[in-house]
Amino acid sequence: MLLAKLALGFCGTVAVAGAYTFHEGVMRVDEDCSHGRHVHVWFPAAVVPMAMYVVPSRHFEHAAAQLSPWLPTLRALTRELKRYPEAELVEVEDANEYVRVRTHHGKLLIDVRNPDETVHVACPLAMIEDVSRELEAKTPGV
Amino acid sequence: MILSATRIAQKAAVIVVSSLFARVALLPAAAFAQAPTTASSAPSQGASGSGGDRWLHVRVSNPGSREETVRVNVPLELAEKVLPTINKDRLHSGKVRFDDIDCHGVDLRALADAVRSSKDGEFVTVQSKDSDVRVAKHNGTLFVHVFEKNRPKRSQVEVKVPMKVVDALFSAGKDELDLVAALHALSSQGDTELVSVKDEENTVRVWLDSKNVTD
Repeated sequence: MLLAKLALGFCGTVAVAGAYTFHEGVMRVDEDCSHGRHVHVWFPAAVVPMAMYVVPSRHFEHAAAQLSPWLPTLRALTRELKRYPEAELVEVEDANEYVRVRTHHGKLLIDVRNPDETVHVACPLAMIEDVSRELEAKTPGV
Repeated sequence: MILSATRIAQKAAVIVVSSLFARVALLPAAAFAQAPTTASSAPSQGASGSGGDRWLHVRVSNPGSREETVRVNVPLELAEKVLPTINKDRLHSGKVRFDDIDCHGVDLRALADAVRSSKDGEFVTVQSKDSDVRVAKHNGTLFVHVFEKNRPKRSQVEVKVPMKVVDALFSAGKDELDLVAALHALSSQGDTELVSVKDEENTVRVWLDSKNVTD
């Protein structure tokens, strides 16, 4: 009986932790090159701000300094884009290349296709907002 | 007795954990579902745009060669909120600075005032062998029409700007154009085509409507 209770508690904790980890969705980067290289990276979006919180500030100084003029814009953009979870924003197509930027299910999707490679990026807007907030916190004076 | 109480406690724990799991797992969907009711100015989603959200569309295409197509759809409200955060070169706080050099000595503000205060009618009409130019004001809208007749540069430009937008554009301080105010004024306009450029190779259209996709 005690073992069953422990198992129930463990399973419950794992289920809640798993649900929380994935509640912001999944950050996904897929790259397929014509010469055979394939990169597929999937990870829970909620992990990124947590990781940023843990990593020492000095590792973000350069990125934060470069991004600092654009952080308010990034934050405003993501905050507003969250209000448009299904929107076609930009689509550029020519004989060789195709670029599409849209939001879908609260994610920012960027698709690039050309003869050399195909890239798909799916990034939850909530994650971008969290990252910009975290970078702002690490950049005094923004 | 003790055994049944333990079973009840177990069942209760399972229900609590599973409901908590379902709540957290379905959080994003629930948030989207609640969005239109919680946010008073929640935008329309989908192509119909029944919620009254205004979208600015830009489309560049090559009808002949079909080499390149550009489609940009921007919600006006998003542009209004994001523009003031950009401070780069001449753009600051949603305003663009310009000086006399840009305008070749023409006082744009005085020109806008003159157009606003004048009655409806044609201000400029030029008809020549090479081109036709027409600038007119009618029912609170400024029309500019340019038609280049010479081949191979045969082109047609149509610009239609509501005077309210022109007023808002010049509502900032001296030597500044208030883009945010102009966008705000534009958002109160009905569905309209603002710019249309057609030449032998390209077609450019800028228009305003309530749909979040181009046709």
